[in-house]
Amino acid sequence: MATADVVQQARDYELPRWAEENLALALVLPGLFFFSAFVAIPLLYLIGLSMTNAALENMFRDAPGLWGTVFGEAEFIGFENYANLLTDGQFYRSFGITWLFVATSVVLKVLLGVGIALVLTHHWVRGKRLMRAIVILPLGLPAIFTITVWRGVFSSAEFGLANQILIGLGFEPVAWFSRRWMTFLSYNIAEMWLAYPFMVIITVSALQSVPEELHEAARVDGAGFLSRFRHVTMPAIKRPVLFASILTAAASFQQFLIPFVFNRGGPARSNELILLYGYREAFEFRAFGEGAAIMLTAVAVIGIFMIIAATKGKLAEGAHG
Amino acid sequence: MTLLRSIGRKIKADLQAIPEGIRGWMRNSRYKIDLYRRGKVGLLQLLAPVGASIGALFLVSALLFPVYWIALAALSGEGASLYSADGFNLIPPGFDPTLLITEGDWWMGMDLTAFVWVIGDIVIPSVRISIPLTGMSIVTGEIVLFEAANYGVENPSDFTLYAWNSLTVAIPTVIIAMSVIVPASYALSRREFLMRKKVLYGYILFTQVGGGLGLAMLIALYAIFVGIGVTNNKLALAVYYAAMAVPFNTWLLKTFMDSIPASYEEAAVIDGASPWQVVREIIIPLSKPGLAAVLIFVFLAGWMEFIVAQTLLRPENYTLPVGLFALIQEYTVPWARFSAFALMFAAPVMIVYLFAQRYIEQGLSFGGMEG
Repeated sequence: MATADVVQQARDYELPRWAEENLALALVLPGLFFFSAFVAIPLLYLIGLSMTNAALENMFRDAPGLWGTVFGEAEFIGFENYANLLTDGQFYRSFGITWLFVATSVVLKVLLGVGIALVLTHHWVRGKRLMRAIVILPLGLPAIFTITVWRGVFSSAEFGLANQILIGLGFEPVAWFSRRWMTFLSYNIAEMWLAYPFMVIITVSALQSVPEELHEAARVDGAGFLSRFRHVTMPAIKRPVLFASILTAAASFQQFLIPFVFNRGGPARSNELILLYGYREAFEFRAFGEGAAIMLTAVAVIGIFMIIAATKGKLAEGAHG
Repeated sequence: MTLLRSIGRKIKADLQAIPEGIRGWMRNSRYKIDLYRRGKVGLLQLLAPVGASIGALFLVSALLFPVYWIALAALSGEGASLYSADGFNLIPPGFDPTLLITEGDWWMGMDLTAFVWVIGDIVIPSVRISIPLTGMSIVTGEIVLFEAANYGVENPSDFTLYAWNSLTVAIPTVIIAMSVIVPASYALSRREFLMRKKVLYGYILFTQVGGGLGLAMLIALYAIFVGIGVTNNKLALAVYYAAMAVPFNTWLLKTFMDSIPASYEEAAVIDGASPWQVVREIIIPLSKPGLAAVLIFVFLAGWMEFIVAQTLLRPENYTLPVGLFALIQEYTVPWARFSAFALMFAAPVMIVYLFAQRYIEQGLSFGGMEG
């Protein structure tokens, strides 16, 4: 066979059909594997860890065998960590306060976000576009900056902005972080401020899809502000706002930085949101096995919540639904 | 560079639109006042927009007041410590615009010592350059560009060290992440293959639960990193950030590439371009804005991440967010210094981020903010 024939044959050679069709998969797989490795391996390890009594004194010691290399001297205890959670008062307290936080903060976020959006799209207001551009500025701020600043705002000293305002209004200053519900309130306010730009963006784009003629027609028919809001505005923004609420509820449930930076879920562990509870068990009390069990439970709950929301709320269709 | 030029053009257009807008508004108001004089509209109709606008302006200022408050605190000089009381004014202490004219003081009497403390000394260290084959070497002298002590500030902050650490984490993050994101988003945008929908769906789902999942995995991550001995290692951190940046940014770049019309490619193919040429000469040049946005988001992810960095790094490797948090934990740090540090950290991030939003991010839902 001449060389030319080989070349010709190589040119004529075709990949098997399935490979030809899925060649592009080769471009996706490196990223997918890279990402999955950093999710799957820690996740599997976490599941393993949650079934051991791993703690600082036994986990980082070398022990023989495969188990010893992976988990040190920690022992397999099955589902004991999970069983212990069922009788753990702090676990229920944490879960309770987390769901309460989800409920209150979502309501506040939606009210504030929709309120701002309504004001900044109203036909009376001049300079709407500029104001809208300015009001979403907090979106660009790093979360850790925003939260440390809000910690300063709620500083118990008189220098804190919140207390300055209270004094200005003639009230007594409040020791924000040493009173349970004051702490909870401060978490809500900070969360509201973190999330309102997102709500404003979603609501504004929904409001702009309502034709002005619709409002005018309603006005001609003698509809007042409230009934126009109920029958013209509401139907248009209901779905996008619902979509945004689901996402922001998930964000509230996973809130960690605010309680961590403010006062570590205090006073006396009364405001430990669920992820902070798991984190503290692991990293402050060095009970890694128990911490892993708490974290996995929290992740399972948020996963189920998101799946239900995605199927019921048709999340995948997004804001356009 | 063309990107920078187009950003410049857009800024210029924006600035030119401002006087135009004011002129239009004045014309409109004159018309309204005229209508009122002639009794065509009532007083309420004339004044409602004014009242509503002032109200809206008040609302916006109230919402952004905490940011102004921090800027104010940063300009209060040495000020009080984080936990002690001090007066509070709406304008920075010592602020006097007339000083700009009388003394040529650009800062108009505001106290910048807190910022001096943050920046510290700026020194170009001495470098030994050896000349090959001759055995000689040149030692450059230390060049001091800025010395904090000249402004009466002793023991400046570690801001520059933390910034350097952040940079050395963020740059490898960008390199690693981009090398897997770009090919994947091209394939997801332009090709059909097995599992395409599933991969996309999984990526989108992860962007929503990623925060909680990432935090949950922190325990395992910490144990694994301790096990292989890479805690306190900036490169290991960068690899982790790059992996976590894959889902959102792949999806983002894919959405951007979707907006490039397929007809361009078809035309190129008809002209006999190979697939590689199509990618190199059509897809990559046209998705430059998208690439820039993704690059910025990945960079910022490495620059701003706090929780993992706080768990894995020790003080000599602290990145800026961890340094900021360490500062607020210290009860003796003056509030002015903390604020200046926080602003120096956040202001560049915000500016870069907003540019990414306003000038680069086309084809995303932010288009709804127009008009």
